[in-house]
Amino acid sequence: MFEAKLQQGGLLKKILESVKDLVVDGLWDCDGAAITLQGMDSSHVALVEMLLRAEAFEHYRCDRNVTLGMNHNHLSKILKCANNDDIVILKAADQNPDSCSLILESKNGEKTSDFVVSLVRIDTDQLGIPETEYSAHVKMSSGEFQRICRDLSQFGDAVQITCSKQDVKFSSSGETGKANITLTHSATVDKEEESVTVDLKEPVDLTFALRFLNLFTKATPISDTVTLSLSQEAPLVVEYKIGDSGHIRYFLAPKIQEDEENE
Amino acid sequence: MGIHNLAKLIADFAPSAMKEQEMKSYFGRKIAIDASMCIYQFLIAVRSDGAQLANEDGEVTSHLVGLFYRTIRMVDNGIKPAGTKLWVQGVIPKIFHITFLQIRVRRKPPDLNWRIVKRKERRQEAEKELEKAKEAGDTENVQKFERRLVRATPQHNEDCKKLLKLMGIPYVEAPGEAEAQCVALVNGDKVYGVGTEDMDALTFGTKVMLRHLTASEAKKLPVQEYSFNKVLEGLNLSHEEVCRNPLRVQSNMLDFIDLCILMGCDYCGTIRGIGPKRAIELIQKYKNIEAVLENIDQKKYPPPEGWLFKQARELFKHPDVTPAEDIELKWTDPDEEGVVDFMCKRFGFNEERIRNGCQKLKKGRKGSTQGRLDSFFTVVANKSSNKRKAEEMNGKKSKKAKGSFKKRK
Repeated sequence: MFEAKLQQGGLLKKILESVKDLVVDGLWDCDGAAITLQGMDSSHVALVEMLLRAEAFEHYRCDRNVTLGMNHNHLSKILKCANNDDIVILKAADQNPDSCSLILESKNGEKTSDFVVSLVRIDTDQLGIPETEYSAHVKMSSGEFQRICRDLSQFGDAVQITCSKQDVKFSSSGETGKANITLTHSATVDKEEESVTVDLKEPVDLTFALRFLNLFTKATPISDTVTLSLSQEAPLVVEYKIGDSGHIRYFLAPKIQEDEENE
Repeated sequence: MGIHNLAKLIADFAPSAMKEQEMKSYFGRKIAIDASMCIYQFLIAVRSDGAQLANEDGEVTSHLVGLFYRTIRMVDNGIKPAGTKLWVQGVIPKIFHITFLQIRVRRKPPDLNWRIVKRKERRQEAEKELEKAKEAGDTENVQKFERRLVRATPQHNEDCKKLLKLMGIPYVEAPGEAEAQCVALVNGDKVYGVGTEDMDALTFGTKVMLRHLTASEAKKLPVQEYSFNKVLEGLNLSHEEVCRNPLRVQSNMLDFIDLCILMGCDYCGTIRGIGPKRAIELIQKYKNIEAVLENIDQKKYPPPEGWLFKQARELFKHPDVTPAEDIELKWTDPDEEGVVDFMCKRFGFNEERIRNGCQKLKKGRKGSTQGRLDSFFTVVANKSSNKRKAEEMNGKKSKKAKGSFKKRK
């Protein structure tokens, strides 16, 4: 028997919003300690990894590990029926469930709606993500990051991210011109969520597709801050913390400058 | 062409071997394509008013039109606004690396050209019909039979080679079957997959085969990706390590070859009355054709006289190919002036359109390529959701794949 009760139904809504455009069908792994989800976009360029620990739930019970094949569009339809302060209960049977039920309870307990969502058969490759030491970590306001990505996508379809000692530069160029946005390390600001911290071991200079970054920033409502981890020749990591009890991490493969002549 | 009904058999017995993917998910992949087949298709299909396109001197140009635009479409796939929101936003530049494989001569052992003999018969028939239709003034039938008589000449091949060279697309000349050469490239890790409609490629043992690659955009069909290992798994033929190199074939591969021969291949006849379903049953039971022959009632199912299944098997097992290690694939910048010179001066194409095409080719080569995550992270497990009974049987020990199949403690 798997059962999880989430006081803040809005959280699940936000999580779903932040993954569903990237991964249509996802495998939700539920074990005794947490719910995890890993999925890639169809072109295998970006990956999302979500972890939601049992502590996030008011009540969490998982007798046996279950893997739920969820169609995120179906799930999102159900969650559209929920208010942000509704209580959401997820239930599934132990033995190869072919459906999962969701119960929504209004805060005052006057309204209960329950839904059954059919699970889908999914067959995907799971990627092992090695522990990596990144050359640079940039922590900033998630809203700011969303803004930068959105603004820059007016100029080009890729963003070049360069980190040097104390600042991080986002630049994009296209037929209409060029745009550069520079953020300077500013740890002294009073509000933590507005500050920018650049933690640098080595300078980095990488280029990424904005289309995916714009999908990642759908997770902005989940957290006030976002952390970008970069290393030369490695995928970018964009991490949003879900309170103290989980995270959503996005990985994006960089664009590679190819020099065909030398191939 | 190809293996009779193999696609259907795979759909029935090994549905997981075929994945449908959108064309765009293949960006950056290198794909080998059998050009001989394409040329043939173009000669048949690219026509106006039923006649092949030709320049002022009457030289046929259908094949060049087709090849030029198809190549550009692949290299350029993504820049072309295809209507959906996603494309318009200026998507990931997709660089398709395409290799066209040129087949020079179909050098098959003379007695093994079963299908070719058949084809010859059909040609003669078509010729007769054509005469008749011409006499009767039946234009529809004239066109129909003219198409049947289409043949790619060495001149067509030369034209196409020249064009590909000018466009900077590498090509390989296959000593024998073009399909087999494509497969050798795949299994030698030179390219990701074979783009073909011909199921033969699987019999030659290709790791990955892509179907509808060339047709998918116009018809809005998804690309079908076949995985050889999963085909074998699904057909219950794989018991040992699956071969990677068609030159070093292992026993399970032989089963599959024998199955294909039983189902009907290009090289020899089949036993009457044995269809795909019987064929798979027999092969699963008896493993090879020799044993099948011993065990079936030959009166009821008479094998063709002087059945050359052994030679056909040999052909699949040891196709005449240039080893992948000896082949270097190199993409170069298109020679715009050269293409214009060749296409416009010689064949009378519209210069503006050709130049546009070249621009697209150049754009496809320029700039950066989107990397793929699978080149950074490794696949640790193939995971499925619970709704799969097969999973329970092959108790994978992989940590990730345990899912809900763990026994209750």
